Amino acid sequence: MGRLGLAIKSFWAILRTGALPDEVVQRLGLARRGPAKAAPAAAQAGPAEGALQMLGILQRDARLIDFLMEDIAAYSDDQVGAAVRSVHQQCREALNRYVQLAPVIDGVEGTFTKLAGIELTAVKLVGNVPPQPPPGGVLRHRGWRGVKVDLPPLGAKTNLSVVAPAEIEIE
Amino acid sequence: MDSRFVIGIDLGTTNCALAYADTAAMGADPALPPVSVLGIAQLVHPGEVRAEPLLPSALLLPGPADFPAGSVALPWDGADGQVIGRLALRRGAELAGKLVSSAKSWLCHAGVDRTAPILPWTAAPGVRRLSPVEASRLYLEYLRQAWDHAMPEAPFASQQVLVTVPASFDAVARDLTQRAAEQAGYRQVTLLEEPQAAFYAWIERHPGWRERVTVGDLILVVDIGGGTTDFTLIAVTERAGELALERVAVGDHILLGGDNMDLALARLVEAELAQAGRKLDAMQLQALWHNCRAAKEKLLDPESGVDEEPVTILGRGSGLVGGVIKAKLKRADVGRVLLDGFFPEVSSQEEPRRARRVALQEMGLPYAADPAVTRHLARFLRQQASQAEHGAVRRGASGLATPTHVLFNGGVLHAPLVRERLLAVLNSWLAAEGAAPARLLEGEDLMQAVARGAAYYGLARRGKGVRIRGGVPRTYYVGIESALPAVPGLPNPLKALTVAPFGMEEGTQARVPGPEFGLTVGEPAEFRFFSSASRKNDELGALIEEVGDDIEELSPIEVTLPASEGGGPLTPVTLETVVTETGVLQLWCVARDGRRWKLEFNVRERIG
Repeated sequence: MGRLGLAIKSFWAILRTGALPDEVVQRLGLARRGPAKAAPAAAQAGPAEGALQMLGILQRDARLIDFLMEDIAAYSDDQVGAAVRSVHQQCREALNRYVQLAPVIDGVEGTFTKLAGIELTAVKLVGNVPPQPPPGGVLRHRGWRGVKVDLPPLGAKTNLSVVAPAEIEIE
Repeated sequence: MDSRFVIGIDLGTTNCALAYADTAAMGADPALPPVSVLGIAQLVHPGEVRAEPLLPSALLLPGPADFPAGSVALPWDGADGQVIGRLALRRGAELAGKLVSSAKSWLCHAGVDRTAPILPWTAAPGVRRLSPVEASRLYLEYLRQAWDHAMPEAPFASQQVLVTVPASFDAVARDLTQRAAEQAGYRQVTLLEEPQAAFYAWIERHPGWRERVTVGDLILVVDIGGGTTDFTLIAVTERAGELALERVAVGDHILLGGDNMDLALARLVEAELAQAGRKLDAMQLQALWHNCRAAKEKLLDPESGVDEEPVTILGRGSGLVGGVIKAKLKRADVGRVLLDGFFPEVSSQEEPRRARRVALQEMGLPYAADPAVTRHLARFLRQQASQAEHGAVRRGASGLATPTHVLFNGGVLHAPLVRERLLAVLNSWLAAEGAAPARLLEGEDLMQAVARGAAYYGLARRGKGVRIRGGVPRTYYVGIESALPAVPGLPNPLKALTVAPFGMEEGTQARVPGPEFGLTVGEPAEFRFFSSASRKNDELGALIEEVGDDIEELSPIEVTLPASEGGGPLTPVTLETVVTETGVLQLWCVARDGRRWKLEFNVRERIG
């Protein structure tokens, strides 16, 4: 699992549970020391910083966190749909700008695909899987691979824990 | 020695662009080196610098609490003075009274002191203010720094630089632009008119252009930018057996552009929402404006094929879905607002509506009173009718100028709907004159054509391309009060002395025949100064008895003769006109013994 894998895993784990997954903690040699103490500010952005920065960008450009944290049960599909179009488009623009994504297997879903030459860590085998890796199977999902992450450099004083600043209007 | 690079700068009302030609890349290839566009590094978010092809002409004067410390530093300058570009535009929408925009429109507004700190016009108390000249200087300085950052081996100050101005800029606004460029550290700067630059860009893209036009053709350039509309006529003539190009007419300054159109669409949606009982606050209006522009572009794109686009304004707080405001922009509405409002089908006889004279008019920019671009165009083409001398301007039966080709420039004219309408209206006029329909010269890259064309013109000035002959785009006059007995309550009748005839060429000078003026030494002498875009047959020294509507007053010009120069208290002088190689108009007072003093534009004075 490369830096990007770690970052994405951390990203979703933080999004769902508010904490780094055990796997990431282990791999980075981190220890859980209670909620108050975050990892010491590193000169280079670690996975947690990267994840928070990405969250910050998606909130800033597309208001993704506002959307995910809102209880939308009470609203009509029509209303949710109107908001989603806007959030979706802007999320997509932000993602395209900062992360370059490509399919793991650039094939047609539903067709037979050879496994030769493809690293197994990038493939999930499902269904009737034999003990030895088979020559191929039907492509069900092309997968996604982060080709490049191009996040803006962080200033020394950037407080990444603020994913979205509070807004106060002076009238 | 000629510099390696030729830099063309489009100093726009809403966006700036920078293009350049690398003469070192020419080599043995006789073809001209391609002109490239420089990505302009700019802050797009706090702490995030990115190179973009356009630099929004937006300047934010932030207070200490508006950005986290150090987050608006640039790669070449750590100072947190002002923010220019994309971030300024973005953050400026959230900060009332700290954003300077449309500085260029203020630069040619004779109703204000353009060297006084007046911007932002609606500045919050305690906010630093800038003069329109200073704001322009800061944009130009920014572009210089961005170049030096991107091209450290070729310092900006040693390159040949061309800065474009609207063709409708008068001598004062051109002088102020030149001054701003010099203050920004520009050493070799030449001014060029934007519609000409757009035409140069077309030539650059079409090396075989000589096969597409013939002697006697007349090319109309319509340039509709974010804030201004500019018309120019270029005639194809012959000189020593070769095709030559002459700029034969420029239009008046019209403050009307794409921003007005987007705002009109936003107002339409706002009115619909208001009927449904939804009120928007200032920031939601900004979002609405922005979203309407995006929706309009989608609707006007012939490939999108949609009939309506949702315009969504998300809830302000964290209740994004709960507070969502939905509206729709229909293709039919866009067509109606744009075409009927801004490009109505009118006859060539129609004149733009004049503003009602209100005694107490709110100060601000003098926006065009009539939003109909087609009426302004009709007036421009008809203005050419009264000139009998200019054979190069082909005219129809009623005297309307009848262009054979049209070149469009500016973001608004991206939309095929708008192009088609404008061309259809023009062709209906041409048909009424018995002239053939005008053909469209396909330009590309409407957003950067002006900067590209400016770089090409730089090469043309070195003899490596065709040059459009133009000269002074207006006729200039100084006012002379007639020596009649004064009538109480009435000002003395004013006459106008022609000091620079239309088309006076760059790099020439001429003594103005006519009266001598007696100037008192040691005291400032002021001349009233006038111009006309439509009177093109007044010769140097001609005295106009009646100053009519076709002559417009500019800022006065003044000169002070130093007392220490000797001689009597009253020095008789004559006037001399100089048009510099870089296209700047200068007036000089010349004494009998040959001593000279330059007349300066007094932009501090307000015109009533």
